[in-house]
Formats: sequence, C-alpha cells, structure tokens
Amino acid sequence: MINTIDISHYGTVAESIRIEAARILGEGLVTAVVAYTAGRRAGSVQPAIITSAAEAERLTFTAASVNNLAVYLTKAKKDIPRSGRIGIVVKGCDLKALVGLMGESQLQREQLYLIGIPCAGVLASTVRPAEPLTAGNLAPKCRECDAQLPEGCDYVPEIDLPLPTPLESTYAAEIARLEGLTPAERWAYWKEQFAKCIKCYACRQVCPFCFCEQCLCDRNKPQMVDTTPRPAGNTAWHIVRAMHLAGRCAGCAECERVCPMDIPLNLLNRKMAKELKELFDYEAGFAVNEKGPLTMFMEKDDQSFIK
Amino acid sequence: MQKYLSRHNFYTLLDTLISGGIRVVAPRMTAGIPLYGPLGESVEMVLDQLPRRSAKEAFFPVCEDIMSYEKEGQQVRLTDVEPASFPETVLVGVRPCDAAAIPVLDGVFSWDYKDEFFLERRRKTTVIGLACTSADDACFCTAVGLSPADTRGSDLFLTPLADGGYLCDVCSDKGEALVADTINLFSEPGSSTPLPLAAPSVPAFDLKKVKGWLDGHFEDPLWDGTALRCVGCGACAFVCPACHCFDIVDEGTEKSGKRRKSWDACGFWKFTHHASGHNPRDKQPKRYRNRIMHKFKYYDDKFGQTLCTGCGRCVRICPVGIDIAAIVTEINGMAIECTPAGGETRS
Amino acid sequence: MHPEKTISSDFEPKVIAFVCTWCTYAGADLAGTSRMQYPSNVRVLKFPCTGRIDPVFILKAFQQGADGVLVSGCHPGDCHYIAGNFHARRRFAAFRKLLEFVGVDLQRLQFSWVSAAEGGKWVEVVTELTEKVRAMGPMMEFKELALEEQWSGAMISPELQDAYRQI
Repeated sequence: MINTIDISHYGTVAESIRIEAARILGEGLVTAVVAYTAGRRAGSVQPAIITSAAEAERLTFTAASVNNLAVYLTKAKKDIPRSGRIGIVVKGCDLKALVGLMGESQLQREQLYLIGIPCAGVLASTVRPAEPLTAGNLAPKCRECDAQLPEGCDYVPEIDLPLPTPLESTYAAEIARLEGLTPAERWAYWKEQFAKCIKCYACRQVCPFCFCEQCLCDRNKPQMVDTTPRPAGNTAWHIVRAMHLAGRCAGCAECERVCPMDIPLNLLNRKMAKELKELFDYEAGFAVNEKGPLTMFMEKDDQSFIK
Repeated sequence: MQKYLSRHNFYTLLDTLISGGIRVVAPRMTAGIPLYGPLGESVEMVLDQLPRRSAKEAFFPVCEDIMSYEKEGQQVRLTDVEPASFPETVLVGVRPCDAAAIPVLDGVFSWDYKDEFFLERRRKTTVIGLACTSADDACFCTAVGLSPADTRGSDLFLTPLADGGYLCDVCSDKGEALVADTINLFSEPGSSTPLPLAAPSVPAFDLKKVKGWLDGHFEDPLWDGTALRCVGCGACAFVCPACHCFDIVDEGTEKSGKRRKSWDACGFWKFTHHASGHNPRDKQPKRYRNRIMHKFKYYDDKFGQTLCTGCGRCVRICPVGIDIAAIVTEINGMAIECTPAGGETRS
Repeated sequence: MHPEKTISSDFEPKVIAFVCTWCTYAGADLAGTSRMQYPSNVRVLKFPCTGRIDPVFILKAFQQGADGVLVSGCHPGDCHYIAGNFHARRRFAAFRKLLEFVGVDLQRLQFSWVSAAEGGKWVEVVTELTEKVRAMGPMMEFKELALEEQWSGAMISPELQDAYRQI
C-alpha cells in the first residue's frame, strides 16, 4: 500500500519490553508492570497488569497498542493494587499525561519505572485491529506528533530506524474550518455531534485527568449538569468536560478514540490547547510543571475582553 | 409463507408507508455514523453496516419522559405521558442479533410489572429483519445459538438474493397484515439464489454448561483477571441490544420539570451506590462479573433465556479491549473440563 | 416546527449578573443608594469573589433561560483575596473561547471590573449589555436545545408545541 507507515521496529520493541519487564519484575525493582497483551481477535491488543516475570512473555506492542495506560495509575482506579514502584509502558503522548499527573501531585516520578516506546504511530480505532497502519487509519494525533521519542524514561528500546516525519494536522484544518463558520453554523455542527452522545462516559473513564473522586456530573446536590442523555444535558456535559481539561489535557486523544458515537471530542481539547498556547504560551510537554496555565496568573495577562 | 420482494419494490414499500403516515425506522447515517432513526425517505437507509446502537431504542428509548410536573402556588399538577400517543412504526433492516433481542426483552418488561412504555411501542411496531451476509471476528451470534438467518423477533424477514432483491419470510400475523396491505409489491419467489450467509468464527458455547459454571463461581479469580482493566464506562451496556437497565431522574426547577427514564449501566460505580454510602459492588471486577452473570445466568434463571445475542458491538467498542466472546469461551472451556466428572466445580 | 426568530417589540431580555460581594456588588449598591437608574432586567447573584464563579454557572444561566450574562468583580490588584480575580481572568479568557467554538455568540457574555466606588460604571455596563441583548433578541440556542429529544423518546405532544410557541 502506498501510504503504509513503517512500523517494522515494533517487533523489536515488543521483544525489548518482554525482556525489560521480566528483568525489573525478576529483580524486584517493581511490583507490577502495566503494558499490553494480545487479545482474542486477530491483531487486537488490550491493557494488562502483570506482577510476575513469568507473565512478561505475554506482552506485546503493535499499532493496535492504542491505550494510554497512565489511566491505570490514577486514584480513580482504586482497584489496581499499588504498592512499591510500578513499571509502565508509555508512548510519548502517554508520558505527557503522566507528567501532567506528576505536576498535579497525583504521582511521583520515583514511584514509576518508565519503559518508553519509540513510536511511529498507532491506529485511530481498534474496530479492525489487524489492519496495516497507513496514513489513512493512523490516529489523527499521531499525524502531528512531536513526541515520538519519549524523554526521561528509565528504559527506551534502541532502534536503528528513523521515525516517520509528521503529516499535516487534520485537527488544525478542522478547527480552522469551524472557526470560519458563523456562531449559528458552529452551534448546528456541535448540536448534531452532541445529540449522538449516550452518556456512557467512556471519554471520562479513559481520561487520565478525570480522576475526581466524584465527577461534578455524577452529583445531584447541586445538579449542575442534567444527567440524562438528551441534547441539552449532552451539550452541557461536553462543554464542562472540555473546560475541566483545558490546560491539563496532554493530547492522548483517548476520549475521541473510545467514543462509541464518534464525537470528535479531541477537537474541543485541541482548540483549547491552541487558545492556551496563544493566550498564555502554554503547551503540554515532558517537563513537570507545578502550576498549569489555569492555576497560575501573571499581572500582565490579557484583559482586553473585560470592560 | 415466502414472497419475493424486488429491491425497487422494497424501497417503494418504505416510501408508501412513510407517505401513509407510518414512522419508518431504519439504519441511516447520523452525523457520520450509522444509527437507527426515522427515515424521511427510503433512500436514506444504509443496510451495509451494523448500526452503532442496537434496535432496542425503538422500544426502549435512550431517554424518555414518563411524567411532567408543574407547581402553581400550593397546587402541583402532574401529567402522565400517554403511551397511546406513540406512533405506529415499521422497524426495517434489523439484523438477526438485534431482532432476536426484542423477544428476550419482552420477558423483563412484561414480568410482574407491565411496562406500558415498552409494551405499547412493541405492539405498535412491525419488525422487518434482514439476514446477515457479512461478519467480522467480533460477531458471535452462532456461538449463542442464533444464526445470521434467525427470524426470531422479526415479523417479516428478508434474505438478500443474488439479483439484488429479497426473499421475504412472513413470520407473524403483523407481518402478514403488512404484506396484505401492500400485496401488489410482492410476488411469488423466483429462481434467484440467496447470497451466502455470514459465518461468524467463534465456536458455539454450551450455554447450559456455561450457566452451570457460573452457578458455582460467583467468587473466582477469573473476574479479577479479566476485569481489572475495565475502566467503568457504560459503553458496552449502551450499545448492547439486550441490556435494559434504566435510571429514573427528575429534571427541571422547583416550578416545573419532567420525570425521565434513561439508560443505565452496571459498569458505573454509581449503579449500586446506596444512599448510605455503602456500595455492594465496590470494585470494578464485581461490576463486570454482574454483566456476565446477568447475561448468562441470572436472566436464564428467571426467564430461561440468554441475555446476549452475539452482535459483537461491545467487543468492537470496549475502550480497553474486553472481549465477552473470549471470556465466555474461557468459561465454556472450564465448564466442559469440569462437568464430565459429575458437575463438580473447577479445582 | 421551530418558530421564526422574530424580535417582538415587547421582548424584555433576562440578564444574569454574577458579581463579587466586595467590589461590584458594593458598586451596584452604590448605584442604588445614589438613585441611579439601570434596567430592571438584571438579576444579580452575589459571590464572595469572581474566583468562585465557576464557568458551569454561566452555562447553567444560559440553560435556564438567560439572554445575557455579566460577570463582574474587583479591578486587578484590588481582590479581597489577593488574587481571585487574576485566576478568574485566565479562566474566563479560556472559557469564552470554548463557548465561542461551540457556537455561543460572545456578544451575550460580558466581563467587567466594577469597584465599590463605580456606581456609574455599573449602570453603564448593565445598560449597555441589556440594550445590546435586547437588540439581538432572545437567546434561542439553549432554549431550543432544552426541548430537543433523542428521536426514540420524542413525542409531538400539544404540550411540547406550546413550549415551542412560548420561546
């Protein structure tokens, strides 16, 4: 296929993960490793939490290793046993989320053993996990990835391949298209998208930053957001979600990938990222910041919109 | 009774119904994805993809009002929603996995309490099923005792033919009435052969043995092993043709508002959260266990049916790749291993 | 089914003002005690600080039928809690971009700094917003949205038609 993306090094990467996971578990360096194993369907991959060196041989890494495993280290996932240091396999985008969680004092670097992936991209959807990776089915976030090689990991498999050069951002183009519409046209666009929402909250549950003990939208005293999956409550939910992630979202785009109704949720996150870059020169990256753009301020911040 | 319906006449049939004031609900593209919805005209129908949500919403809406209230001074006025106002509907292009779930749902909605919202929609809806000619590796209807040509739940059942037309099986009185009303569009079956049916690849489960294993394994390492990675969303339940849990909430102000019924899911932590703060299903694996238990044991205990039709939607959309077909295959294997020795549980 | 967006001459906009208690509320109070006139369309909601005004309140106000929303607090440097208004400034700078992106006309959302001494500025700000919103007509988006249903739960009841007529 013409637009096939070269991921021939994923085999080597997978083998390196198996060896490293077995070593760190065997030496007692970590108590568990969060990684990927193969599923039943051809090409399918699922998250796995292993606790013994013997299990390491099940681990894999392919273009279907889409999940951001950072979600398993948040306090929202109380069922995951957490004692001692934990190993975790991270792509660049996943690492940005971990870094964000460290900035929000949810995790400490020394609790983690990071196995970084030299990443050439993953699939946009796992409905057909065995499909070869092409520019057509590549996750949109991967097109514009600036973090193919995660920084500051404890271990990164060595590869002798150049990683693919970024493609044109589809998000930027779509945001520009929407910005060019009138407010009424934009409202109509989002109304149609949000109407599909069934409030399954997959977007919230996979998000590493949605770690609240109780979501505002699950509370009824006061009931700030209608809980029923009607257009009104759906719209409110998605606006609240995007606002709560503004300045925190690391861009893993898991919300968009998991949406069973294909709502382009990451467009909202990317739009907010773009605005926060313009307003406050903030971007999610590999450096731990104690303060995000909306938890700090400068006296000279723009206030041209205020009378 | 079998009839022949040409492709052209199939679309004519739908347009005739629509112009006659009948609501025709079929898969159609909705903001980029196939979903069931009312057609404006027959050409909107999309039959080559399984809709993302199942056909259950035609009977059990995502969200519906059941009552409204208005307060004026000391007076509170309550207005019930009248099921009699529901429209006559023809539900078209329903795959066997979706159609078969409808009679399964009849059990729970007409047992003890008769749910008039469900039952009235059921009475007013004629279901036109459609045989499946393609399957992916998430499909497993044949593993739960159905088939890509199963007519359960359908009033009329169409089998695609090589000439583009359909062989139409009349499966109920409702179906017969619909054919009688539009008899000039149907003819006697001709020589065109049916297209080959889909062939899902998952080997059949022994549902009785699976249930037998579940009877004795409320506590089992399997649950932790497979469900620890469950992130606790409701996607699987919401796309499922057979899941039927719902929540009832009041929305509005102190002056006026509605009482609404909407889909709920056992994967949510809030689902079993008590007012006291106690939660009997305090961990995600316990919630996932309920999903499997309800589908393959509890529903069978009560209604003698399995609450899964193998449509594979949950397998395709699970954010973390939890595969119900793989889990039940594993249970099936363990069940077969332990039953020949006289129904003992696994050591 | 949707009625034409006509601006009837008797349209009285509903404007919700979220204000901080230390500056803008005192400023509005000053306007009142000084017998200055300002539109009675404004409903004032008092908060300890603009830093306490959650963007979801603004959303809720629009959902509950507001045609315009004003958020007002202390001038930079004057916050009773030192920096609440600086945080609010960033938050609202971001939030208004989000609302704009989903299609809310930002003409309906106004932010201002009004001190306890600025009774005149309070009158000016609320009068200008009220008249602007009056000229724009009712905020239909959220009101129409509140009546929308998923097709499966929708009913064309006389009650619903009444509701459409009312907005």
